[in-house]
Amino acid sequence: MSLEEPQQPDAGVTPEGDLDYDELADLLGERVLDREEHVNAEGFVIRPDEVEDTLSTLKQEAGFDHLSCVTAQDYQDRYESIYHLKKYDDPTQELSVVVPTTRDDPTSESAAGVFDTANWQEREAFDLVGVDYEGHPDPRRILLPETWQGHPLSQDYNQDKPQIVPLREHANPVEERTEVPQESDTMFINIGPHHPATHGVLHIKTTLDGEQVADVDPDVGYLHRCEEQMCQQSTYRHQIMPYPDRWDYISAGILNEWAYARAAEDLADLDVPEYAQVIRTMSAEMCRIAAHLLAIGTFALDIYGDFTAIFMYAIRDREVLQNLLEELTGQRLMFNYLRLGGVAWDLPEPREEYFEMVRDFLDEWPSRLEEYHNLLTSNELFQMRVVDTGILPPEKAKSYGATGPVARGSGIDYDLRRDDPYGYYDQLDWDVVTDDGCDNFARASVRLREMEESARIIEQCVDLLEDWPEDEREIQSNVPRTLKPDPDTEIYRAVEAAKGELGIYMRSDGTDKPARFKIRSPCFCNLQTLPVMSEGEYIPDMIAALGSLDIVLGEVDR
Amino acid sequence: MTLPETINGLLPIGGLAGEVVAALIGAALIGTIMLANTAVAGPWAKRKITAKFTDRIAVNRVGPAGLLIIVADAVRLLAKELVVPEGVDRPAWDFAPLLIASSALLGFAVIPMGSGLQLADPDIGLAFVFAVASMASLGLLMAGYASNNKYSFLGGLRAVAQNLAYEIPLVLTGASVVIFTGTLQMSEIVAAQQGALFTLGPIAIPSWFAFVNPFAFVLFMIANLAEVGRNPFDIPEAPTEIVAGYQTEYSSVYFVLVYLGEFVHIFLGGAIATTLFLGGPAGPILPGFVWFLIKIWAVFLFTQWARSALPRVRIDQLIQIGWKGMLVLSFANLVLTAVIVGAIA
Repeated sequence: MSLEEPQQPDAGVTPEGDLDYDELADLLGERVLDREEHVNAEGFVIRPDEVEDTLSTLKQEAGFDHLSCVTAQDYQDRYESIYHLKKYDDPTQELSVVVPTTRDDPTSESAAGVFDTANWQEREAFDLVGVDYEGHPDPRRILLPETWQGHPLSQDYNQDKPQIVPLREHANPVEERTEVPQESDTMFINIGPHHPATHGVLHIKTTLDGEQVADVDPDVGYLHRCEEQMCQQSTYRHQIMPYPDRWDYISAGILNEWAYARAAEDLADLDVPEYAQVIRTMSAEMCRIAAHLLAIGTFALDIYGDFTAIFMYAIRDREVLQNLLEELTGQRLMFNYLRLGGVAWDLPEPREEYFEMVRDFLDEWPSRLEEYHNLLTSNELFQMRVVDTGILPPEKAKSYGATGPVARGSGIDYDLRRDDPYGYYDQLDWDVVTDDGCDNFARASVRLREMEESARIIEQCVDLLEDWPEDEREIQSNVPRTLKPDPDTEIYRAVEAAKGELGIYMRSDGTDKPARFKIRSPCFCNLQTLPVMSEGEYIPDMIAALGSLDIVLGEVDR
Repeated sequence: MTLPETINGLLPIGGLAGEVVAALIGAALIGTIMLANTAVAGPWAKRKITAKFTDRIAVNRVGPAGLLIIVADAVRLLAKELVVPEGVDRPAWDFAPLLIASSALLGFAVIPMGSGLQLADPDIGLAFVFAVASMASLGLLMAGYASNNKYSFLGGLRAVAQNLAYEIPLVLTGASVVIFTGTLQMSEIVAAQQGALFTLGPIAIPSWFAFVNPFAFVLFMIANLAEVGRNPFDIPEAPTEIVAGYQTEYSSVYFVLVYLGEFVHIFLGGAIATTLFLGGPAGPILPGFVWFLIKIWAVFLFTQWARSALPRVRIDQLIQIGWKGMLVLSFANLVLTAVIVGAIA
């Protein structure tokens, strides 16, 4: 389709490919009430009843096709929703749309009509902060129980008041649901919260028509641990860093830590020594391989059954990476290795031994990958199961804000490591893997090939580290003991974590703790695509689609 | 001479009473042998075999090589509370585990195990063994339907759909063997495989039907995987989809019966394959019974191998393979065998 249409340049972009905010403001005309300066982009302040109009103009005419995140927060005098817009073609072109509402009547127009991903994100904003979104198709709570009183991240909320919910509110919720009209041919079934294929505590309310899935409604929040609030109560310098390890806890720790490190370093304008960046890049890619291995292993588990060899092989190979990471960070799961402005410590001594360990892994790795390809991608029975099932068309993927291997499996060439470079990635030689299959097979195959690229990156990092002059091994830049970013600075920054774009929004109020800390979880957005992939498919294909999304509930629920 | 006749000869009772006592003793003996096999296979061998396939060690703490885990598991499972969920269809729910376990065990009545171990040798032996083996699907449907659980229900329906699709190719392939032998009697089928097919230097290849008609053997083994519900056809259980299907609501002794029934069923499948295609208990040097055990364990090993290496197909794909593929192939096999055997005769 898009091939036949002449490529229209997006409005608001200079010929050099930079964003021209003045032109964008002209495009929106009088809808822009005010312009704010955020660290990552400009913020256009608009009226709460013009959200849909403004966003659809920006999407259609200015090419902002990626609603990365919706942040809600409250000030003394107002509530505010921020729509962080990006472009899939060039995520460095960012724009924030700021929608303030009064404290008395925090009602704002919903953006769910323009971006599908706004559906869940606004539900979360309503749930935790308390902004009402008018015209929202599904205005329910999402992370907290339906019976919850108040909105915990708003300033009115009394945290000391216990939540007293009368028993009748919890009187068997299944009872009323099972009262299906008698003439209906469908069957309602609860998949989860405890189910072998949900990879955690996810509850999928499913309606079946025979063996086929008629309707899917994922119910999340069972693992909500108030991560955002805990970060808001912790200091920038040291206290926040351990939390990211606990979002995507499937060995993706350093990737998550980097999301916070990057956002905080940009917020407080800190430098990171190059040597530390190389170590970060290497350890992050080790985490990525470990995380993808588990994704592949559990995906195989979903398709093969619980006695499959692939899962154990994946665990066995992941063990090697865990040993490498343990040597480096002293930890196997919750690394807490990055620091603002660097890393915690240098490579373990003797360095040669560590390099040898890494090289041993790299030498073994191609044959291991070959084994996975033999067992999975070249297995005809496996192909029969996963090719052309769980289809996620690219337009839908973009509208739902899918990122990471899920987006790349739908042919969307989007990888923040290359498109919005950070760390040492732009100086290394590696490729972004995509697959046009849009199906369960494509997503698994993207992960397998990405592990190959990660190994390439690690190899180049090891080469660099080996030759690094001894007197230039600086692992930490000069960072004040107590970090107090300037008041009223705001930033939204994302990195490419194992599951996709892991973004963090922070607002500073001049103290040593963030006034608002918002996590944009890739799993949360990716999970929204489950109904697209699975409705009309068979139950096993829905399970496979869920496995191919590779969600970690710790990150979905935060 | 069948086993009860042998026992009767040894007993000083005689007459009808002697026959009954001898039959009971024989049945108890065969039942014990098969249950002992299952006890080794279920808690211990399965773990060890799967562990080898998946690069692990498995049980190794209780007893030599972890063998006492069999006792530990038995005590554990029997000591558990029997949870009876609300709203189960009582007589059917209780009867299903019994049916699943006993139908498979019943099949061994006509299997010649070598060394004189055969309970009965009726003329219609093969028909009998297929008939009782397929009674298990009735048990699965009962279990799924009576459990008052949607997962069990789906599992029960899947089990029946699967068994319908695979029973026919299984029986038809078995029938192609009958064309060679001209009898359904199990001892005759074994006897027909005793000659040498051809000699390869000093080694004589026996005229097992697996060598005479390898195509039928392959078909039979595939259909057998579906019949016993192992990967790629473990669809009725599918733990990652419908959380083990029809057995979801069973605990304690009932669970043991269902689980044990499955393993006896795998061994019965192995025993049928052994009798039809692998020369029954025939083999050099070792006694016939040992060869019989080796062969059924080989089939068991095959199912575990498939389980570790093959993905589960979808129910619609399975039905397609069954009705469009296996059925056609097994008919072709039957007709071709008939034509060739007829032409040679």
